[in-house]
Amino acid sequence: MTRRIAVIKTFFVAGLLFLGSTALAYVSPGSPTGYVNDYARILTAEQKTTLEGQLREFDKTDSTQVSVVILQNLSGDYIENFAEKLFKEWGIGNREKDNGVLLLVSLDDRKLRIEVGYGLEGALPDATASAIIRNDITPLFKEGKYYEGVYGGVGAIMKAVKGEYVGVSQGGGLLRSISPDAAGILIFIGFIFLQWVIAILGRSKSWWLGGVLGGGIGAGAVWFNLFGLTFPFGLAVIGVLASLGLIFDYIVSRGYSKAIARGSRAPWWTGGGSSSGGGSSFGGFGGGSSGGGGASGDW
Amino acid sequence: MWKSPMVIIIGIVVVLALWLGGVYNGMVRSGETVDTAWAQVETQYQRRFDLIPNLVAIVQGAMKQEQEIFIAIANARQGYAGARTVNEKVAAATQVESAFGRLLMIMENYPQLKSIDTMQTLLAQLEGTENRVSVERGRFNETVRDYNIKVKTFPNSVVASSFGFTPRIMFEAQSEAATAPKVAL
Repeated sequence: MTRRIAVIKTFFVAGLLFLGSTALAYVSPGSPTGYVNDYARILTAEQKTTLEGQLREFDKTDSTQVSVVILQNLSGDYIENFAEKLFKEWGIGNREKDNGVLLLVSLDDRKLRIEVGYGLEGALPDATASAIIRNDITPLFKEGKYYEGVYGGVGAIMKAVKGEYVGVSQGGGLLRSISPDAAGILIFIGFIFLQWVIAILGRSKSWWLGGVLGGGIGAGAVWFNLFGLTFPFGLAVIGVLASLGLIFDYIVSRGYSKAIARGSRAPWWTGGGSSSGGGSSFGGFGGGSSGGGGASGDW
Repeated sequence: MWKSPMVIIIGIVVVLALWLGGVYNGMVRSGETVDTAWAQVETQYQRRFDLIPNLVAIVQGAMKQEQEIFIAIANARQGYAGARTVNEKVAAATQVESAFGRLLMIMENYPQLKSIDTMQTLLAQLEGTENRVSVERGRFNETVRDYNIKVKTFPNSVVASSFGFTPRIMFEAQSEAATAPKVAL
């Protein structure tokens, strides 16, 4: 208990200290390769597959994303800060529901944390997260049974948040199978729009329309201050986009007329293209965020 | 006759007006982001204040000779309730923090508190709350930094001063935190 008070106290000391200089030593471990990311390589391939399968299934049924990350060390960072930054970087959970959970373990520091997304703070409150760490995980970690501890912890987390959200049913509409989330749909629409613009620019005889379009888009972007640029740079952006538009128009127009002259089909980008859906490999998390909820512990 | 100087002047005015609008809107937007981030910080402060009485209620009985600290906490909480502006609230929250921090240090002298069941739950909640406070304050600082860069850099600074956008204040490290004893985990 003294130790737990000490943990709270570090927030006062460390928290206030790092507010002055936000340059805490968070070093990104890289992109996620799945639900389970074992950078310390303590899990066997079999153990990893078992956990991975469980978590993928849980994502399917409940849409809640639970990620396990095992690190060798935190490179001098606090686990609370590291967990929050990593959660933010990977975006665990659905963007709208914020239903992600991160179980972060650092071996050398002998510390672990359950970071809970905003949307699960009700189902998995700090006290529950703390109880999972104290009852299900650290007793096993103390005996060196890391896989068993993680497995038990993940099981308890899933039990706590089960039913909080419902997964998207499989085999739905066409759009859903192509893009599982909003970002995918946006990219899809953007792609169609791009093809449409190319088709118009390619077929039109003009070589200047692209320049006008580019300039217009640039002016619009500067007007809404999308890039947060000051005036001289804004003008430069308009100029660059206008010239890019010109070059773009030139290339697509030439490509189109060449293809027509050869009597072959117009290139794929002049219309009618189709995008293929992703395979079964891990496609990243859903963009959820957390606000420092959860609990930490050590062993 | 085509009056070219006139056309050029009109062109310059139009471009300037566009730029002005863009800069102004950008500052308004950044200011709103800062306000939203501040609201998040306040939410977490409120959560902390709601938990403190629970903790006090549990430990007060065991810590009869430490009345002074409980009075300090009560005063600090009252100060926060009376604070109106953001800067006043930041100052008052710091008061609460320092009083609360002292209570936690004193609590270490009372190992018998360990036997209280609800203590574990309460401490987990407090840990979570303190972490949330530090996360939201960090995010608030980031939005203030973005906003201040917008307001302070030239030529935006000219627009900022004529429309009354002033730099906001960040949370900074407290001097007593710098000298606080290192806590062994």
